[in-house]
Amino acid sequence: MAERGGTSSAGGPAAAPGIDAREPTKKPKYSRFSQQELPAFKPILTPGWVITAFVTIGVVFVPIGVGSLFASQQVVEILDRYDLDCVPSSFSENPVNYIQDSNTNKTCTRSLVVPKQMKAPVYVYYQLTNFYQNHRRYVKSRADAQLRSKSSEGETTTCAPEAVTGDNQPIVPCGLIAWSLFNDTYKFSVDNKAIDVNKKDISWKSDREHKFGSDVYPKNFQSGSLIGGGKLNESVPLSEQEDLIVWMRTAALPTFRKLYGRIEVDLEANQRITVLIENNYNTYNFEGKKSLVLSTATWIGGKNDFLGAAYLTIGGLSLFLAICFILVYLVKPRPLGDPSYLSWNKSPADQTDG
Amino acid sequence: MKRYAYINDDGPSQDLYRDNRISNTKYTVLNFLPKNLWEQFSRFMNQYFLLIACLQLWPLITPVNPASTWANEREVWVVENGIKKLIQAQDIRVGNIVWLRENDEVPCDLVLMGTSDAQGLCCVETSALDGETDLKTRVVPPVCMGMDPVLLQKIKGVIECPSPDRDIRRFDGNLRLFPPFIDNDVCPLTIKNTLLQSCYLRNTEWACGVAIYTGNETKLGMSRGVPEPKLTAVDAMIDKLTGAIFIFQVVVVMVLGVAGNVWKDTEARKQWYVKYPDEGPWYELLVIPLRFELLCSIMIPISIKVSLDLVKSLYAKFIDWDEKMIDRETVTPAHATNTAISEDLGQVEYILTDKTGTLTENKMIFRRCCISGVIYGNESGDALKDTELLSAIETGSPDVIRFLTIMAIGNTVIPVKSKNGAILYKAQSPDEDALVQAAAKLQMIFVDRSANILEIWFNGRTIHYKVLETLEFTSDRKRMSVVVKENDTEKIFLLTKGADEAILPCAYAGQQTRTFTEAVEQYSQLGLRTLCFAWRELMPDEYHEWSLVFKEANSTLVDREWRIAEACQRIEHDFEILGVSAIEDHLQDGVPETIETLRKAGINFWMLTGDKQNTAVQIALSCNFISPEPKGQLLMIDGKTEDEVCRSLERVLLTMRITTSEPKDVAFVIDGWALEIALKHYKKAFTDLAILSRTAICCRVTPSQKAQLVQILKSCDYRTLAIGDGGNDVRMIQQADIGVGISGREGLQAARAADYSIGKFRFLTRLILVHGRYSYNRTAFLSQYSFYKSLLLCFIQIFFSFVSGVSGTSLFNSVSLMAYNVFYTSIPVLVSVLDKDLSEETVMQHPQILFYCQAGRLLNPTTFAGWFGRSLFHAVVVFMISLNAYTYEKSEMEELSMVALSGCIWLQAFVVTMETNSFTILQHVAIWGNLVAFYALNFAFSAVPSSGMYTIMFRLCGQPSYWFTIFLTVAAGMGPIFALKYFRYTYRPSKLNVLQQAERMGGPILSLGTIESHPGTIEREVSPLSISQSKSRSPVYEPLLLDSPNTRRSFGAGGTFEFFQSQMRLSSLYSRNCKDN
Repeated sequence: MAERGGTSSAGGPAAAPGIDAREPTKKPKYSRFSQQELPAFKPILTPGWVITAFVTIGVVFVPIGVGSLFASQQVVEILDRYDLDCVPSSFSENPVNYIQDSNTNKTCTRSLVVPKQMKAPVYVYYQLTNFYQNHRRYVKSRADAQLRSKSSEGETTTCAPEAVTGDNQPIVPCGLIAWSLFNDTYKFSVDNKAIDVNKKDISWKSDREHKFGSDVYPKNFQSGSLIGGGKLNESVPLSEQEDLIVWMRTAALPTFRKLYGRIEVDLEANQRITVLIENNYNTYNFEGKKSLVLSTATWIGGKNDFLGAAYLTIGGLSLFLAICFILVYLVKPRPLGDPSYLSWNKSPADQTDG
Repeated sequence: MKRYAYINDDGPSQDLYRDNRISNTKYTVLNFLPKNLWEQFSRFMNQYFLLIACLQLWPLITPVNPASTWANEREVWVVENGIKKLIQAQDIRVGNIVWLRENDEVPCDLVLMGTSDAQGLCCVETSALDGETDLKTRVVPPVCMGMDPVLLQKIKGVIECPSPDRDIRRFDGNLRLFPPFIDNDVCPLTIKNTLLQSCYLRNTEWACGVAIYTGNETKLGMSRGVPEPKLTAVDAMIDKLTGAIFIFQVVVVMVLGVAGNVWKDTEARKQWYVKYPDEGPWYELLVIPLRFELLCSIMIPISIKVSLDLVKSLYAKFIDWDEKMIDRETVTPAHATNTAISEDLGQVEYILTDKTGTLTENKMIFRRCCISGVIYGNESGDALKDTELLSAIETGSPDVIRFLTIMAIGNTVIPVKSKNGAILYKAQSPDEDALVQAAAKLQMIFVDRSANILEIWFNGRTIHYKVLETLEFTSDRKRMSVVVKENDTEKIFLLTKGADEAILPCAYAGQQTRTFTEAVEQYSQLGLRTLCFAWRELMPDEYHEWSLVFKEANSTLVDREWRIAEACQRIEHDFEILGVSAIEDHLQDGVPETIETLRKAGINFWMLTGDKQNTAVQIALSCNFISPEPKGQLLMIDGKTEDEVCRSLERVLLTMRITTSEPKDVAFVIDGWALEIALKHYKKAFTDLAILSRTAICCRVTPSQKAQLVQILKSCDYRTLAIGDGGNDVRMIQQADIGVGISGREGLQAARAADYSIGKFRFLTRLILVHGRYSYNRTAFLSQYSFYKSLLLCFIQIFFSFVSGVSGTSLFNSVSLMAYNVFYTSIPVLVSVLDKDLSEETVMQHPQILFYCQAGRLLNPTTFAGWFGRSLFHAVVVFMISLNAYTYEKSEMEELSMVALSGCIWLQAFVVTMETNSFTILQHVAIWGNLVAFYALNFAFSAVPSSGMYTIMFRLCGQPSYWFTIFLTVAAGMGPIFALKYFRYTYRPSKLNVLQQAERMGGPILSLGTIESHPGTIEREVSPLSISQSKSRSPVYEPLLLDSPNTRRSFGAGGTFEFFQSQMRLSSLYSRNCKDN
């Protein structure tokens, strides 16, 4: 830079000191953050890295898949669909009439064969299909405050259209969910000897203690002209109405199982179990299936092959990909950062196919 | 209040109270609006937007106004009805006389009436108005000069002034005092007689003035006007994508709505437990679609607005903080005034740059001169050391002395004596400063300007001149003159200096101007700025006659500028041309390298300058702006008439079209006159040309033409960046997509108007390649990611509606939905502001990579489709896996909802991880800390008995199947993406990937790049001209060619050097013009 001709009379440029004086301390403070210079880890996808990752996934997932599948296979499950068979042949054309008629005989006897030994506890579930417990209208039709405490008995606004009786008395428990309570019952016996079904503690402990009040008693329940599902004993507080508590944990899918009770004796292989079913619940309107399920459980829960199969698939695919990558890497090695891919000197149009 | 119920009274008391109508609908006609609004605004997001909206509606705080509210209560002395009293500033009325003391702020626009100074001068600091810190003098109008302060309080008169405008450099008013004060004479007022709002009174004990504009009608208030908001290309793209998503949303809502209604009518009626009423209200059909609309409303992420605002302000902060963009010389950091447009910096396609002060330092140094045909300073390159000149001064050659006199006093410079006796010059233009300083060194020392008496010392003699008139410089006249009277001889002289084309044609008949023309030609070839000097002695009669005309012109209200110009024309003729001065302006440090780098990055440069064509072309050559032959080719567009311009425009256009296929740098050069014609009559052809040419030089252009050029490029959908330093660049800067101001010597005007201000031109590289590029990349990721995560959740909701009877049930509870957008997904992505795909060094070495940003490669419908597909894929993965893993007895709403949500959150963490290129500690904390925070937050929710989620998270985390489900989701969701990315990265790498690989493995490219960007290589490429090669390395501008015309001709004769041929043509054309005039 050339020296500015500075001599005797004329001073330096007038402007420069002015700028100096104006912002003497505006200089920002240095920090690695403000300079965007924080030390950074910059990984790149090298073949070694990627292949290792896929091999690891494969190696970890396949055993887990095998384990889960094995656990799932351990579960003994008996599933018996009874909704059609429990309708007398005279009503088979019109099961809805049968189920809605209060005078027909609803009992029905089924016999199940235990395929393998079932260790106690054996869980008894009922399974419904095509039943939309997750329907918006249904899911919303409940009043948690009312279930929890007696003082909120009148808070039924969210329960429409099952909120109050014809003469404006609050229904406890209100709402469509409670109103449609499942009410088939099962009695089990082996060789004419009744097996007890333990219906205690089938619901979540937290629900019994915090969601359903021990001072809340059913009131005006199922008293309307249209009866939905089961009735409740008005002298038992809601916190002890475990069937209701289980029912009110709405299912996310239209096919679901809910716990009915536990059989606390082992069931031996080839035992014939007789089930006396009280077939009350109406699923005939919407062609929903009703089934009775007896099942044992393992660490992974009930019988569900999905996790195991999925783990095996993913693990297998990972290994397969890893092998592919290794093969491609060996057959067609490609140096990373090859300069021949950088052709700036070509026209911009060529750069577009990057 | 007591209530009186009048029993059985049919009277009016019945109407006192309301009737017994019970309202149990949620809304009534009356309360719908307030109640609904209240509900809406209880949501935080809406409050935020309302707050922002309110803030923007509040004019007091939107644009920064230095004279903000507090100024209203300030107390000032005002004369009312002849009595001085203290009132609040907001109560000042037009016509009040306001008294100010030293260091007071001027409360409104005033016309100065009196000061403590005997000569009626006062100094003001205008930095709040125009950013210039030097003191400006203001003068009392002549009629009030010397008036007694007591008299001033009683003064009566009328001031005619134009309606309020925003021009802070112009005020055309008239003052007429009523008798008995002065006669009826009208006194013209200019900006020199005013004190504008928010200026400070300095170095003056007191001053008083009449309020003319008050409140928001002051010059400052008017110029505050809200500038047009700038929308970045990225924002526009995001808007477009939002629109597309909105249409998609509407389609989804309609399809689901119809499906929902069909399902309801066919299936739901059978589902007795749902208890659908047989007869619904009339709007029943709308209910389900509207529910889906609400369910899908998360598809457009509201959080994107908040996140973008946040990161954008951080980008701006990074620019402010950048140590590498501080001008060490003046300690000026870069500053981002506009925080919203950083991404655009990365997408710049055209840079329009001013020359003086932007490419050059605007540090003028007097180098050469030509006085009456004798050329000084050619041998040494410095006229000040030319012995011939010195001896000519010694001997007192009249022409030389005349020349020096004009250098010293033909200006508006104010000499200020500093304490140690040295004289400092306060000049508004750096050229004048250079001239005065040079004159001082040549023994002609300008010592003092008091009132209109000028004092100069020459060879120990003191000479006094009286300034009679100053004919100020305007960009139209291109010259300025002073009329002075030499005190000793009583002779009146007109001293003029200006651009050659404004002076030479006005020479007296018979004077040979050829030598001057050649000198001008020669100097401008060297890239020097030339000024012609001329003088004439005026007869007293002529002067007096003319001064009346001039005075009248000065006091007109309408078209004053034009009238003055006309009056000046009347006296500025028959000059005797004295000579030509040549002033050198340094190129700034690193300008050639900056231009070279940015051009490599695919940015096109246009130079818009007020300078002469030759000077501009030379500067352009010396800073790599254009390449010399044979690599480059210059095409001239010239002509004085429409036809000529049209023909030359078409010829250039044709040449351009032919040469586009060749790897040649073709640039066109156009001057202001031809540009005016081209813009007026051949806009279409010119626009075509603009699209074709990567480089252009426009000389002799006015500020409004600069803005027009920006407008043309913008209309072709190019992203333009305008960079300049002076007041004449302000319009261009405001017009461009991005305005960059250089806080330089010409004040801060440009920097104030600009979106970004930097200290030196070379910082532009960093501003664009580092800050612009990173900002674009980060925003591109952040915005698409925001859509991705919102779509992900929305797709899951849509899938869920298929298993919930298309009834519009939400799988997720409201707390989760809210927290998902606000916490879980926004925090990890916010730290992507620290992500760097390539290191700064790599980008600087391979500026070509900017192409990805320019072409919008990282954010466009295609990339967005990728993200859309990804969110669809992930939604399927999450939904299918959680649904199948949690079936039968496990299928509980709350649990399933949390399983799906956790799956989403885990996927998000991995998606962000995979898209992050560099992990700093903050990224790790944000990504993994967020995951931890997700569980912590949900444990907290699960611990509240009354919440719907009570105990859910504790239950889930205790189940092995939960964790298995999550890991499965992550593996299934990320595996294919990871594999695909790896495949592309290794076998179909983009340029970006190649550079990443090279950078991080120290691969072969990096070293190659180092060689490539070695400065020597650039020079070899650019300058085959042997002379320039050694010189262009130096940042100081040095001549490219030898001086004598012969050398030049020999180049021209050399054959294909078309550029110089055209210059020859130009010079011949030029002399013809002179003759025409």
